[in-house]
Amino acid sequence: MNSAPKPESATSEVLLSISDVQKYYPIREGALQRVAGHVRAVDGVSFDIRRGETVGLVGESGCGKTTLGRVVSGLTDATGGAVHYNLDGTLSQIDHLQDLQARQFRRNCQMVFQDSFASLNPRHLVLDIVGRPLRVYNEASSGDLVERVVELLEQVGLGRQHLYRYPHQFSGGQRQRISIARALALNPEIIVLDEPTSALDVSVQAQILNLLNDLQAERNLAYLFVTHDLSVVRHMADRLVVMYLGKVCEAGETQSIFAAPHHPYTRALMAAKPDLDDDRAGENVKGLDGIVPDPARPPQGCRFHTRCEMATPVCGWEVDDVVRWLEDEPGMFEHLSGVERQSEFNAELAFDSEEAAAKLSMAIRSESVPAAMKSALKRLKLDGHKVDIEFEAVDEVQLTARDGGRLASCVLDPDEVAAKSQ
Amino acid sequence: MSEITDSNFEKASVRDTAFRVRMRRFFGVLQRLTSNPTTVVGLVLIALMLAMAIFAPWITEANTPDAYQMPRDWGAVRKPPGTPGHWLGTTNEGGDVFYGVIWGSRTSLQLSLYVVGSTMVIGTIIGSVAGLVGGWVDEVLMRIVDVFLSIPELIFALAIAAVLGPSFTNIIIALAMVIWVKYARIMRAQVIQIKQNDYVDAARVIGDSKLNIYLKDILPNAVTPVTVQATLDMGNVVLIGATLSFIGLSEAGIAEWGVLVSEGQAGIASGRWWASTFPGLMIFLWALAFNLVGDGLRDALDPRTEGR
Ligand SMILES: Nc1ncnc2c1ncn2[C@@H]1O[C@H](COP(=O)(O)OP(=O)(O)O)[C@@H](O)[C@H]1O
Ligand SMILES: [Mg+2]
Repeated sequence: MNSAPKPESATSEVLLSISDVQKYYPIREGALQRVAGHVRAVDGVSFDIRRGETVGLVGESGCGKTTLGRVVSGLTDATGGAVHYNLDGTLSQIDHLQDLQARQFRRNCQMVFQDSFASLNPRHLVLDIVGRPLRVYNEASSGDLVERVVELLEQVGLGRQHLYRYPHQFSGGQRQRISIARALALNPEIIVLDEPTSALDVSVQAQILNLLNDLQAERNLAYLFVTHDLSVVRHMADRLVVMYLGKVCEAGETQSIFAAPHHPYTRALMAAKPDLDDDRAGENVKGLDGIVPDPARPPQGCRFHTRCEMATPVCGWEVDDVVRWLEDEPGMFEHLSGVERQSEFNAELAFDSEEAAAKLSMAIRSESVPAAMKSALKRLKLDGHKVDIEFEAVDEVQLTARDGGRLASCVLDPDEVAAKSQ
Repeated sequence: MSEITDSNFEKASVRDTAFRVRMRRFFGVLQRLTSNPTTVVGLVLIALMLAMAIFAPWITEANTPDAYQMPRDWGAVRKPPGTPGHWLGTTNEGGDVFYGVIWGSRTSLQLSLYVVGSTMVIGTIIGSVAGLVGGWVDEVLMRIVDVFLSIPELIFALAIAAVLGPSFTNIIIALAMVIWVKYARIMRAQVIQIKQNDYVDAARVIGDSKLNIYLKDILPNAVTPVTVQATLDMGNVVLIGATLSFIGLSEAGIAEWGVLVSEGQAGIASGRWWASTFPGLMIFLWALAFNLVGDGLRDALDPRTEGR
C-alpha cells in the first residue's frame, strides 16, 4: 500500500488517524443487478486528528465528506484503508475492536447530523433522546436520569422546561442543540459534525458555532467539522482538509491556507464564498463554475483540471475532455457515432460523415478549446470519417509536502498559483 | 411549526410528566379522528356492532347446545318480519333471522380478529426480516409475496378454502394465508425507508443494540400504515368471508351472515326478501364502518399533520 503523505502531527497526541481510506459504492445495472462500476465516494484519504483540535473537512457537495465522516464514526465500513483510534495510548484499528475496546471507541466518538429533524426520533421526548446514551451504558438510574439530562440540556442552552417535549416542537437551532446534548452525554473525546449548521439561519448558525467553541474549550473535545462552506470553518478549524471528488487536494493550517491557498480549487472555493473580513475581498477572483465530473469516472491527472482556471498541458487532458467539450458544441455531438479507446489518453472518434470528422479536427485547433488542452494534444489524425486523438499520458497528481506542514496536489508552484490568479 | 416561547415555558412547566405528555399526544390523535364526521359515523356503527356482539346472549337467548348454530323453529317456517317471536322473520328452515343477525356479529368479529390479528403479526415479522436483513433473504421473501399478490384475494382464498374443505375454521385459515402478504409488503417498505433515517444512525452511534433500535426507532415509526390497513381489513375480511360462506364453503346452519344470505336467496324470487336482506345489510354496514374509520385514521395519523 502506498500511503499518501499526511499532514504532520507535530505538537499534541494523535487521537484519530485516517490512512488511505477508500469507500466505493457499487453501481448496479439491469435486471440481474450486475455491478457496472463504482462510485468512488472517498478515494484514498489520509489525515490525523489530534486531541482537542478542530479539523475542518471542506469541499463541494458530493465530494465524499459525509461518507468519510461516517467511516470515521464507524457507521460505514471502508472499502480500503483504515481508521485508527487512540485507546489508552495505542492506535487501534476501529473495525477490529473487541468488546470492551469497541465500547470504549463507541462512547468516545459521537456524531451530529446535518438534518436536525431527521436525526431525532419524532416519537421520543427530549428526555428519552438525550437520556438514551446514559440508559444504554447504564450510566444513570431512572431517578438520576432526569437530573443528568437537565444538566446536559443546560450545557447546550436549553433547560428543564424542555424535557417533556417532542422534537417537532422546537426550532431547527434548538433541535441541533438537542443533538449536541445527546452527543455530549457520554463525555466523548471527538464529535464528527456533519454540516451541523448548514440548514440554519445565519444568526442561529453563529450561536451554534459559539456553543461548539465553548464546549470544546470546557471539555477538550476534538471535532471533525464537515462543511461545504469555507467561511463557516474559517474561525472554527485549526486545520483544514479540502476534498475534491473523493481526494484531498489541499491540507494544512487554516490560517496559512487562507493566507495563500496552494491549490486552485481551494482558491476557487474561497472566492465562491467571500468573507466580509477577507483580506482579498476586493480582489477579483473567479469562483467555481462548470459541473462536477462523475465520481465513478474521475478525471485523469489532477481531478480538478476540467474546471481549473489555471490548467496546464500536464494536468491530465484525456479523451473524455474532448467528449465533454463536444457535448457543448452545437452541431457536432450528434454526429459522433462511436469512441474506440486504446487508453484514457488515446482513442479513435468515429463520426457519421467525413465532413463532420474534418470539422472536428478543425474545431479542436480553434480558439474555443482551452489552450492547455490543445498543447497537451500529441496526435490528431484525420482518417476518413474517423479522428485519431492522442494526449500525453500523465500520472495522477499526488499530494506533495510543502512548507509549514502544508500538503497540496497541484503541478503549479504556490507562487505561480498566486500569480495566475491576479 | 410551533415555536416554544417564554410564556409557554411557565405553563408547560416541570409538572409535566412524560406520561401526561404522551397521553396528550394520544388524545390529540383522537381529537383529529373525531373531528371528521364520516369517521364518527363509522365509529358509532362499530360501537353498536361491537355492543351487539358482546351482549348477544342478553339480546336474544343463546341456542343450546351450540349458540353459533341457528335455532330452528319448524312450526314457524318462512314467516315474514313482524311475526311474534320472530320480528325479522324466519328462513326456509325456520331459522330466526334476528338471531342470525345478532349472533352473526360475534361470528364476524371472531373471523376478523383472528384473521387480522394473526396476519398482522406474521406479516410484520416477515416484512421486518426482509427489510432489515436485505440481500437474498429479502429477494426470496419478496418473490413469495409477489406470487401471492399476483392472484386476486378472493379467488386465492376460495381455492384454499375449497382444498381444505367446507368449514368456518378453514375460511379463517384460508383468509389468513392470503392476507399476510399485504402486511409483509407494507412493513418491508416502511422498514427500508425508516432505517435510512438519521435517527437510526444516531442510535447506532451511541451504541444501542440492534434489537433496541428495531423496537424503539423502527417499529413505532412503521406501525401507522399497518394500523390503517388492519382497520380496513377488519371490514374487508368479513366481506370476503361472507362471500366464501355464501358459496357454501362454511358449515350449513351456523349463525353467519354470508350463510344466511345464501339460505335466503332462493326465496327472493318468490317475495321472501327478509332472510337475505337483513344479514346482507349487516355485512354492508360492517365493511362500511371499518372502511370509514380506516380512512379517518389514515388522515389523523398522517405524519405531515401530526402534532403541528
Ligand atoms: N449509500 C450510497 N450509495 C451510493 N452512492 C452513494 C451513497 N452515499 C453517497 N454516495 C455517493 O458518493 C458521493 C459522495 O457523497 P457524500 O459523501 O454524501 O458527499 P458530500 O457529503 O460531500 O456531499 C456522491 O457522489 C454520492 O452520490
Ligand atoms: Mg454531505
